Amino acid sequence: MAVLVQDSGRELRRIVRTNEEIKTVVLRATKINLMAMNAIFLAKRAGQSALGFGVLSNELRRFAMDLQKQMTRLREMTYGSVGTITALVQQGRVNRLLERTRKESAGSGRKLIDEAMRGRYGLAHGRHRDQITALNRRLNQMIADTTQLVELGSVLARSAKIEAAYGGPFSTSLMQVSSDFERTIGEIQSSLESLSKHEDA
Amino acid sequence: MKTAQVIYEEGAHRWLALVRDPSRPDYLIDTNEYLVSVGDDAILLDPGGSEIFPAVFSALSTEFDPRKINKLFASHQDPDIISSLSLWLEFNPNIQCYVSWLWAGFVPHFGGDQETFIPLPDGGADIPLGGQRLQAIPAHYLHSSGNFHVYDPHAKILFSGDVGAALLPPGEDSLFVEDFDRHIRHAEGFHRRWMGSDRAKRDWCHRVSQLDIEMMCPQHGAIYRGEQVKRFIDWFAQLEVGVIK
Ligand SMILES: [Fe+2]
Ligand SMILES: [Fe+2]
Repeated sequence: MAVLVQDSGRELRRIVRTNEEIKTVVLRATKINLMAMNAIFLAKRAGQSALGFGVLSNELRRFAMDLQKQMTRLREMTYGSVGTITALVQQGRVNRLLERTRKESAGSGRKLIDEAMRGRYGLAHGRHRDQITALNRRLNQMIADTTQLVELGSVLARSAKIEAAYGGPFSTSLMQVSSDFERTIGEIQSSLESLSKHEDA
Repeated sequence: MKTAQVIYEEGAHRWLALVRDPSRPDYLIDTNEYLVSVGDDAILLDPGGSEIFPAVFSALSTEFDPRKINKLFASHQDPDIISSLSLWLEFNPNIQCYVSWLWAGFVPHFGGDQETFIPLPDGGADIPLGGQRLQAIPAHYLHSSGNFHVYDPHAKILFSGDVGAALLPPGEDSLFVEDFDRHIRHAEGFHRRWMGSDRAKRDWCHRVSQLDIEMMCPQHGAIYRGEQVKRFIDWFAQLEVGVIK
């Protein structure tokens, strides 16, 4: 039981960290979205020589929106975990009180408590462990999916940088924009990295 | 652990007082719980807070099968009254809880679902028990805005919730009031501060003075008997309440 309570405390702290990380990723995704919109206008002004850059900027914008959607799903998932863990903490409290009742009771009273506790441990304990394991598995999977998505974004940013070199008179400003993309996506990657590290902790 | 004391018994009709837990930590207010049973039908009055559930349950189960408790009564919504609800539901998921309609949406935060609660209308209601009837007597604003006491006309016992409560010092913790004048000093501060309405107080005094009461059982402190009940009502009637100091 003590283990359960400890576990749930750790789970809750992890969810808080995950949510904080989600917030920074969402912020950066919004930033990419805005940057991509500017890049699209810039490419239009640059005309023929920035056609490829324009296409990539569109892709980056779609990427930013996909990332935001993914983050919303991730956040929904962590809300779900809070529900499960809250139930676990409550169960832990009831178990602790029953444990104390058992110690104080004798005879038929104690027998009743024993029965109640057996039922609770058998069912609730196993069920909640399973639920938490399943939640963790889904969470890890989603973080892995997101990492892949961001990998794609990073490829787009690199390609944009190459395209920028053919931007003629606009080359310098296109280069600047694509470096911004690269840097922001790099930041998202390290956020995700620390998220998957939390998963192991 | 608390002790279970039979304070009334006639045939299958019994009042059990669950009182005085010496192992209770000082930071929790001491409470009395009462089990009224008629045969196998039983109601627990102000079941208590979850932290003292172990003491109440273990004392109670020495005298009565806790699975047979099918009714709870909550005089009001306080945590020392009813926060143990979810634990009692563990032993009987069909248990029903009487509580003022005013709190019927609040108390479920302690447990239970819509099947659990029987909301009491402001005017009070009868509570059936093993072919007999207990009465939920209005005691609003004393101290809670939706508040009831329970009168057992057969046993002539009034369960008076926080009214009559006394915070007894160690050593002066007998089950019954011995010396009224001495005892009432420990009740005065409590009633001045916790009871909010003078008008409600006068209503209550009028209402209960018409009842035939041999014992008045508060949720904290000692039980008043015989003449002490009338003395308490008179004392309370003239006490200034709803004042900070
Ligand atoms: Fe109260
Ligand atoms: Fe109280």
